[in-house]
Amino acid sequence: MNETNVSYFIGFVLSILVIYWISIAVSVIYRKIRVKQISRIEHTFADVVSRYLYNDPLNPLSISEINETLKSVGIRPHNKNNIQYLISLMIRTQRTILGGNYIKIKKLYTQIPPYNASFSKISSWNWYRRARGIREIYEMNQSQYLDEVVKFRNHRNIFVRREAQIAMVVFLGWESLRFLPYLKRNMTLWQQIKIVEKLYDHYPKPELKFLHRAYKTDKLFGKKLLMRIIRKFQLHSETDFILEHLIHEDYEVRETAIYCLQTFAVSSERMNFIKQIYEKVTDSSQQAQLLNYIFENSDIDLDFYLQQLYGPNEELKLNVAEILWNNGYKEKVQEFYYQQYSKKEELNAQ
Amino acid sequence: MRKVLVIQEDIIILKILERLVITNEFECKAIRSLNALTIEDQQTNFDFIITDILFEGIAPLEFVAQVQEIIPHKNLLVVTNMGQDKIKMEIFALRGITGFYAVPIDLDEIEYIIQAY
Repeated sequence: MNETNVSYFIGFVLSILVIYWISIAVSVIYRKIRVKQISRIEHTFADVVSRYLYNDPLNPLSISEINETLKSVGIRPHNKNNIQYLISLMIRTQRTILGGNYIKIKKLYTQIPPYNASFSKISSWNWYRRARGIREIYEMNQSQYLDEVVKFRNHRNIFVRREAQIAMVVFLGWESLRFLPYLKRNMTLWQQIKIVEKLYDHYPKPELKFLHRAYKTDKLFGKKLLMRIIRKFQLHSETDFILEHLIHEDYEVRETAIYCLQTFAVSSERMNFIKQIYEKVTDSSQQAQLLNYIFENSDIDLDFYLQQLYGPNEELKLNVAEILWNNGYKEKVQEFYYQQYSKKEELNAQ
Repeated sequence: MRKVLVIQEDIIILKILERLVITNEFECKAIRSLNALTIEDQQTNFDFIITDILFEGIAPLEFVAQVQEIIPHKNLLVVTNMGQDKIKMEIFALRGITGFYAVPIDLDEIEYIIQAY
């Protein structure tokens, strides 16, 4: 490598370094400007909302004035980053307020930008963007777009249909359960939990007529969702729906039924029903869960436990023996043990 | 004139509470942290302090104890995002707390308390 080549090489490295430093400087300056801009938008929005909620009768704040103020800090149709930031501020604000002021804010949001930004997102080709648009619509309670959002309830993308189903719950409440039999795609556990939580947050007073109609669904996820709703709202009068599904042919439906049942203390009649169907539960681990539930929620029923101890289910005999042993029936367990021992001896003698 | 001190890190809640207080004919000092407090403020006997409890670098209970110790006041209202029952119980155990409001808040409730004063 001669001297000229070395100097070219050094020049090349230096020029890369200079470009690198320039890009760092540009990035730092851009971030500084952006942080300032965001802070300005936040302060302006806070000022606008506070003045709108508590308007000064001597100097009233009009909607056109609000729009002008927002425009002056960069909330314009072409500036999508600013509009997105404003949407996040709007959602944050709406989440912090209840009562009459919540209604006022909801009204304000229909009169100011973001220029249908959320609505335009739901026609985007990008699924994530579409789901985000639906989410913003229900978070800001913009119920005028309900018809558009409902169309996505069976969408092939899980995020889009999940957000659409949650939006239906937020806007329609218990009435949204009437769509349950018509949902075509599976609903994951996470989706079910989100729906139950939203229903509980927005509509804490149960409307049983919609729940009863939804019982007709033959969808497995629908049955699981309904049981979770019964559990969340502690609907003691509806526990029969859960009991019916303890012997359902699907493992996960039975699992959900047992899980939901565990939060209820049932009447003695219903407990007798559980004992009757106990042996029909095909999975031994689920039987063990049910046995535990029966033990914790009812008095010791000696006949039932002895039936299990002498019955054909070998896997749970130890659990049954443990319950009897710890609850004053040691001699029954010993009797069972010795009876087995004598049978063994007879077999050996033969 | 009756005076209120509002301490909230969230600018939106801060501004809304400030407006609420001013509309009800109170003089209001609104700050985002205790660092913005002046010596004069520490000598003023506020009719109300409306404060959050979640600030960087200090535990919620310690913050409330510090506010109670350094700022003279008659009533202390807590408005916070930390609405867990355990926190609420611990805050009320400190004594001298007029009210505890967890987000989401109904501002009318705070307004009634201020108006009734």
